[in-house]
Amino acid sequence: MQIPVIEPGCIPPDPVSPDSLKGIPRQQTNPARRSFENWKDFVGHLRSEGVFVREGKVESSIFVTDAGGLAFGLPHGVVRPNSAEDISKLLKAAQLHRVPVTVRGGGLTTEGESVAFGGILLDMSSLNKVLKIDAKAMTVRTQAGIFWHQLAEILRRDGMDYLSAPLNLTASVGGTLGVGGIDVNSSRLGCSSDQAVELEVVTPTGEIMRCSETENPELFERVLLGYGQFGVITEAVLKIRKFSPLTMQYYYYASLRTAIEDLQMLSKADAADYAGILTILDRAITLLVAFDSDERRKEFEQIWKHKLRGHGELGFGLLMARYYLLRPWKMEEALYIASRRFKLFPEFNRPEFMRDGKIIDRTVVFSRAVWKFWGGRQMVIPDLSAKAEKFVEAVERGNAVCRKYFKYYTLYCVGIKLKGNLPRYEMSCIPQDASDIAYGCEFEPMLRDTDYSRDYLQSFKNEIYDIGVDMGLSYYRFGGMMKGYIRRVFGDEMVDKHLAMKKAADPAMILNPDVIF
Amino acid sequence: MGNKKKKTKGYESCSGCGVCLLVCPLWRTTGAMTYTRKGRAKAMQGGVSHEEIAASIDACLMCGSCEPACPEGIGIVAMNLEQRRMLNQSRSSYPAWYPKNEATASPRNSKLPQTKTILMAGRNLDGDIKIVETIVDLLGGDKNIGIADDDGRDIAAAIEAGLPVPPDRIALCISLLRNAKNLIVSEGLLHRQLREWLPAKKVMGVGEALLNIPSIRRALRPDDIFIVESRGYHSDFERLVKFYDRLRKDTGCQMNLDLQRIAIPTGASSLRGLHNKKTAGCAEHAAWILKGRKFKRIVVEDLADMEVFQEITDVPVVHLSMAGFEK
Ligand SMILES: Cc1cc2nc3c(=O)[nH]c(=O)nc-3n(C[C@H](O)[C@H](O)[C@H](O)COP(=O)(O)OP(=O)(O)OC[C@H]3O[C@@H](n4cnc5c(N)ncnc54)[C@H](O)[C@@H]3O)c2cc1C
Repeated sequence: MQIPVIEPGCIPPDPVSPDSLKGIPRQQTNPARRSFENWKDFVGHLRSEGVFVREGKVESSIFVTDAGGLAFGLPHGVVRPNSAEDISKLLKAAQLHRVPVTVRGGGLTTEGESVAFGGILLDMSSLNKVLKIDAKAMTVRTQAGIFWHQLAEILRRDGMDYLSAPLNLTASVGGTLGVGGIDVNSSRLGCSSDQAVELEVVTPTGEIMRCSETENPELFERVLLGYGQFGVITEAVLKIRKFSPLTMQYYYYASLRTAIEDLQMLSKADAADYAGILTILDRAITLLVAFDSDERRKEFEQIWKHKLRGHGELGFGLLMARYYLLRPWKMEEALYIASRRFKLFPEFNRPEFMRDGKIIDRTVVFSRAVWKFWGGRQMVIPDLSAKAEKFVEAVERGNAVCRKYFKYYTLYCVGIKLKGNLPRYEMSCIPQDASDIAYGCEFEPMLRDTDYSRDYLQSFKNEIYDIGVDMGLSYYRFGGMMKGYIRRVFGDEMVDKHLAMKKAADPAMILNPDVIF
Repeated sequence: MGNKKKKTKGYESCSGCGVCLLVCPLWRTTGAMTYTRKGRAKAMQGGVSHEEIAASIDACLMCGSCEPACPEGIGIVAMNLEQRRMLNQSRSSYPAWYPKNEATASPRNSKLPQTKTILMAGRNLDGDIKIVETIVDLLGGDKNIGIADDDGRDIAAAIEAGLPVPPDRIALCISLLRNAKNLIVSEGLLHRQLREWLPAKKVMGVGEALLNIPSIRRALRPDDIFIVESRGYHSDFERLVKFYDRLRKDTGCQMNLDLQRIAIPTGASSLRGLHNKKTAGCAEHAAWILKGRKFKRIVVEDLADMEVFQEITDVPVVHLSMAGFEK
């Protein structure tokens, strides 16, 4: 892309590819900071109720951006609640004084959804206690600000583990239940939101309510996958399981389509406990499969292994060597792939995390690798989620966009088992036309060592998201800076229905503004 | 996470992933982001001064847990110490736990040990002559191992407090180590510095030195919980995580390592802990180490940890050097 030279006195043309921002008003990518005349009254009101608003620069600058590092905003004050009652008081006062409240768990959004553009930032990480482990019912009751890793630490002391959670250690339970939570075992166990048995929620008007599939089910369905629009999750009862180390196997592919077809075959047949695709560009495509027990592994090896079209390490190495030897002009790419392969894969086999050939603490192993190899001060991770039949095309088209924009990137694909046709899936990352298993793909460019303009990155995301509009898909990250796509992909009727529900639940529209509506 | 990378990366490289929070003892006890390394880095990226985050800079226990956890490979310990130093430059009164005497260059009447191995007992072992003698015996007697009169404890304290250490004070201290090949250093905070000052020497903690003795290794059992000294461990994490993993495999003992294999500290040998265990939260940290675990004995590498565990549990607590003498 050529950045035009700016002649003094003239405004240059926008260097963004001309068709990539169509329909997206650019000012929506980072909302303006709100200001309030009644701020002092609001703070005083809360103080009189025993809720302390921290207003210093030190407190607020910690939350200036999210994991994406592209949206920046400062809250006027930060509240660290001690209880659901504190949050109730806060939200009641916020309704009265019309002060926006942005809820923040781990802040691992990438589109600014957990960034406060003024108002209050509600830092949920202070609510991080595990309240009860019920080994009989195999559930844990926990405060929702807890990070999954903290939860894992505590569960492990009792020989237990959670079912599925994002691969990043510092996502919170509440923040995840609100957006989905996809693990490498989600094609079998579903997303994290589907592990919730019961919630305690503070509604936008400040009522503290319990909800589950049987108690206040409408609220339950709205809050799960509800992007923080319909209440603050303060407690959750989640399903748990006995901890087990896992064995992992890798199969290597040179074709995305073949790898995806094999992933789908395994997911559909429930052939492995964990299955996902991780790529280095679109050349070295790895299908990861893993097993919680030797029985499952043996079953897989007997029935499924020979059906996979992937190669072993040596065979694939030779294949790659031949490919690149015939294309010496691509040697830089070959070297990149080789060096990345030799740095990344040993991370999955570090001796301190292995016992008897099995990975223990898979969350730590995967998450540390994720941060080490994909993390950074800026991250753009646009994604597409599709029903099985559309998935290969979606990934291939997304891959072409990655190729166009970036030299180096990664694709990460997994399945997400659906729990039926639940209302919570409406206007969520689960595509409306999916049944049984939906599939998601993240497109993550390697941004390190290169400075890209925000516009360049936004254009890239838009081109990926345009595929979603074109094919009738959905996205995991459609809020914040990407919210311009919500109406385009879900349609006015659906969005208006949700907007009406939101207005009824949150009359002053103060809870998590600028995320969806 | 090579050294070269560590030196070049500072708070501005912090991506805010928060993995360091998970291992931070202050985060565990306060739940306040402002008291953590991430909190300080993000605040500084936001333009705050050292004075504005003084409480956080002072609160840090310097256990070093955050450094091996950081996926960016930021040299966090050096950065924490540097921030303390910078903060001190702009203030005149210090927290109560600061060392009363700065490290001085006044030459001491120290002998030059002639042995290939030198034990630098430091504050940690100072109070217990019996243990020092036992360690020397276990490591082959005083023909094999000399005890440094000048164990650099004032240097360690000054470094931890972010106070200046005159170069000639360091020069004196290390000149007395010149005959040695191996340095056994109980003060975990000094490991990193000694490796930098004396790159040709092998620096190890008392724990590692003792654990290389087969009889000591054999004395550890599956119903022991072994408390790794955190500062030394984190200063050489890549190597020691494997060393202690082998120990676990060989003996079956449990350890104060979390799921990321970071050593959960009690904070007892930090300056703050030495000054006041309660305000340093030592009992809370120790309670978290023990929570939900089944064990019959606690074995510590760092003597300062002994008292903390004795206060919160009835099971026997022994120093590693004594582990073989216990029933
Ligand atoms: C490096 C990296 C890796 C990732 N890997 C995965 C992955 O493997 N799988 C996956 O599913 N996702 C992944 N994500 C996305 C991220 O994990 C999810 O967005 C995450 O689960 C959000 O949790 P959080 O606590 O960080 O929420 P936040 O980012 O803090 O908040 C998310 C949204 O929920 C709202 N919110 C937060 N807490 C609450 C609450 N208690 N009640 C109501 N609303 C709330 C916020 O306002 C915001 O709108 C990754 C992100 C990064 C940066």
